[in-house]
Amino acid sequence: MPEHVTEWLSVYFDGELHGHRLRQVEEHLAECEACRAELNTLQNLSGLLHEDPLPDFPSPERFATRVSLLLPRRPIAAPENKLFEIGWWLLPVGLLASWVFISTTTLTGDMVSAANQVGLLKNISGWIASGSNASVYWSNTLEQFGVLRGGSLNWAEIIEVFTRTALPQFMLHLSIAVVYLGWLATWWARHSHQMQSLILEG
Amino acid sequence: MENDSAFNEAELVIRAQGGERSAFSELVRIHARGVFNVVYRMCGNQLMAEDAAQETFLRAWQNLPSYRRQMPLRNWLYRIAFNAGMDMLRKERRVLPNDIEDLYLTDDRPGPELLVSQQECTTLVQKAVLSLPDASRAVLVLREYEGMSYQEIADALNIPIGTVMSRLNYARKLLKDQLEQKTFLPAEADYA
Repeated sequence: MPEHVTEWLSVYFDGELHGHRLRQVEEHLAECEACRAELNTLQNLSGLLHEDPLPDFPSPERFATRVSLLLPRRPIAAPENKLFEIGWWLLPVGLLASWVFISTTTLTGDMVSAANQVGLLKNISGWIASGSNASVYWSNTLEQFGVLRGGSLNWAEIIEVFTRTALPQFMLHLSIAVVYLGWLATWWARHSHQMQSLILEG
Repeated sequence: MENDSAFNEAELVIRAQGGERSAFSELVRIHARGVFNVVYRMCGNQLMAEDAAQETFLRAWQNLPSYRRQMPLRNWLYRIAFNAGMDMLRKERRVLPNDIEDLYLTDDRPGPELLVSQQECTTLVQKAVLSLPDASRAVLVLREYEGMSYQEIADALNIPIGTVMSRLNYARKLLKDQLEQKTFLPAEADYA
């Protein structure tokens, strides 16, 4: 005779066993008197539990009236919850707006810079042209002290220009993208959890 | 029909979340009996159960805005009821008589020990249930007295289904052992 199915009897008794395991338990019960007795004990136990009636509690109507008299005026947590919900949906909008603003600013800056280089901004005030100029500072300083020269100096200038212009922009875009993707992942996790709950509830 | 009542309940919840007391009172009326059942089985005392049920609905009212409607209201209320019952027990823990030894328990089989009345029998079963660990008792109560599925119990108590199964198994085994000793349930020794 196969092994007893004692550990599954409780689940079987509750009607929560399915598929292969259900068939296995049923087949075993058909030939095992000990397990049938155990199942019978579970039934008796359940019967005994149900012999214990509820005492005379107040009627639901009376109780509802009593509770109603004790209720504070308004649910307490409402404003915080609403604020959280508003903030939750404003976050991606804010991120997208920031991204659009930064991209537009950068593009405009690049266009001004390009126009300046081809000499289209000669009549425009100096601060616009100087604002788009990718000057080098610390590499020039190092050159003056004789620390850098020739090829090393060229590389230092390239690195300086890159770290002062492209890198901050790249990091800014990357940060926005990471926060936005994080929000999307959280939204997806919440959404799929809600869908799962709905499916389980049938 | 069931869908209609679920729809009505959802509407009541929305109104109650907006602060409408009459809608909440209707929800109390609908769920009062279930909550009484849960807290009474957890506490084993009518007065404590009434206090715990009242506390359950007061907490529910205060936390209603944070209630997510994806979870059935009943499961959410039973989670609060379980916690309220436990708090009440901790506050007013009474010495529950543990003297099962001196009572004889009934048995369907004929025998000389059939001496206890139905009332005593009920009291002994109640004591046995109350002697279970709180976590196992909660699962047993929701299953046996409220007829909830394992998934509903898991949602209500916020535990995995596997834990529901093991706690239920454990609770039944403890109960069986206690009651079997007193010839309350037919022993299985003959089949071992």
